[in-house]
Amino acid sequence: MGDWTGVLHLNAEDRKGKTVAKNVYFQGAFKVMRPVYHDDSGRACYYLLNPGGGYLDGDRYQMKINLAENAKLTLTTQGATKVYKTPKQYAYQESEIILQAGSYLEYFPDPLIAYQNAHFKQKNVIRMDSTATLLYSDIITPGWSPEGEHFSYKTVQLLNEIYVDGELVVYDHLKLKPSVQKIGGLGFMEGFTHLGSMFIVDRQMNSSFLDHLYSLLDQNTSDYKVGLSLLPVPGFTARVFGNSTQVIEQIFSEIHRNICQEWFQTKQYSLRKY
Amino acid sequence: MVIVMNDKILALFQLCDSNFPTGAFSHSYGLESYIQENTVHNLESFSQWLQVYIHEQLIYADGLAARLTYQALDEEDFEKVWKIDRLLTVQNLPRETREGSMRMGERMLELVQTLYEIPALSSYRKRISAKQSFGHPAIVFTIVAHYLGVSKSTAVLFYLYSVVSSIVQNAVRGIPLGQTAGQKVIRDVQSVLIEASHVIEQLNEEDFGIVSPGIELSQMRHERVNIRIFMS
Repeated sequence: MGDWTGVLHLNAEDRKGKTVAKNVYFQGAFKVMRPVYHDDSGRACYYLLNPGGGYLDGDRYQMKINLAENAKLTLTTQGATKVYKTPKQYAYQESEIILQAGSYLEYFPDPLIAYQNAHFKQKNVIRMDSTATLLYSDIITPGWSPEGEHFSYKTVQLLNEIYVDGELVVYDHLKLKPSVQKIGGLGFMEGFTHLGSMFIVDRQMNSSFLDHLYSLLDQNTSDYKVGLSLLPVPGFTARVFGNSTQVIEQIFSEIHRNICQEWFQTKQYSLRKY
Repeated sequence: MVIVMNDKILALFQLCDSNFPTGAFSHSYGLESYIQENTVHNLESFSQWLQVYIHEQLIYADGLAARLTYQALDEEDFEKVWKIDRLLTVQNLPRETREGSMRMGERMLELVQTLYEIPALSSYRKRISAKQSFGHPAIVFTIVAHYLGVSKSTAVLFYLYSVVSSIVQNAVRGIPLGQTAGQKVIRDVQSVLIEASHVIEQLNEEDFGIVSPGIELSQMRHERVNIRIFMS
């Protein structure tokens, strides 16, 4: 299993209110830039890079993130994750994220674009302390083909496991196979093209905050459709259908802004990539 | 031998009967959201919804869980059964359907305990009381089927039938459909269920918990349906 196309290990810790890297190790087609401190909160922001520009046949990526007590980190990518056609072997990425007591992670990767005949599998395992905070989102686009045809990829499979204090509390498994599923139809994308998912785990979550978010987001519009629900631990999940990445990003940004304001009394900052 | 087999089948029938009070009559598994949006409004659209629900959600969650539970019971691997209970619960992201399954599982368990003495069920109940396990009808049903000595494939198939027949009853009330139309769906769905049970037999553990995003989203959105006849 040691045969990775790219490996990234990042251990971060809190030093007098500032989060700094204790160890950073990367190899092959995976890189991380020097951290950026967007404000004076001490939270470090890391941008992930894929110098190869995309995932190819049989590529395998591994990421391990460990936040020590009270470390605060934002993790994002510098652009969309592109998976090119995979004629022989699917492309794979696995991540293991450990969040120790009082730590805080925002992990907002850019959307996934699977090209014609691409097969991609991703597995995220998050192990967190019940006093830690997790904010995670992902977006699946309809992919790309030379003819502009939607859903021409073979398979996109995303698995998220979240453990709190050692117990599995979220098991999220999506497997989209447009060639065998009626992907646009009832039960699947229902006429929409983009699917966003968000997972938030934090002790401050309660049902009135969910009501508040619903009242902000659940508008009578045909541009998007949003579902929100409480997890079995303090936290919630959001699923959003839309017809563009921007629409879903705006919704996630609105949720994020409210969390920053209500729970942490911080101001949301832009990740300014472009 | 034939008579013995019939005994077991008859005993399992009791659990599949829509009169068996588990509370399934109050859960629509997101169907009510579709009814309110008028996406499901007649026999054809309901049948289409039901096919997607069976093939894209039921087989990967409850169906595969029933099969894996049966195998674990064969191996007396109870830790595995409790693990499946947790997986089944935490993969159910919409709160209403998750909590609904827990409530149904617990009710079914209490009821079955008055009918049979099954050690695995007693352990399950203790774990649920101690909040170590959640409770799920697929697991209770499979424990009973295994105890009765019904084969694995029959246990899975009957469980699927019990879920689907109560959904059809709910659709008859909720859409509404005529009773005759409901019975037609139940007849037509039988071949679908047999096919589904074959698919379940071929699945790997790694296939567990795959959801169809639309059905899941409608299950989440059901929380916001104001005027409702179903709890999920």
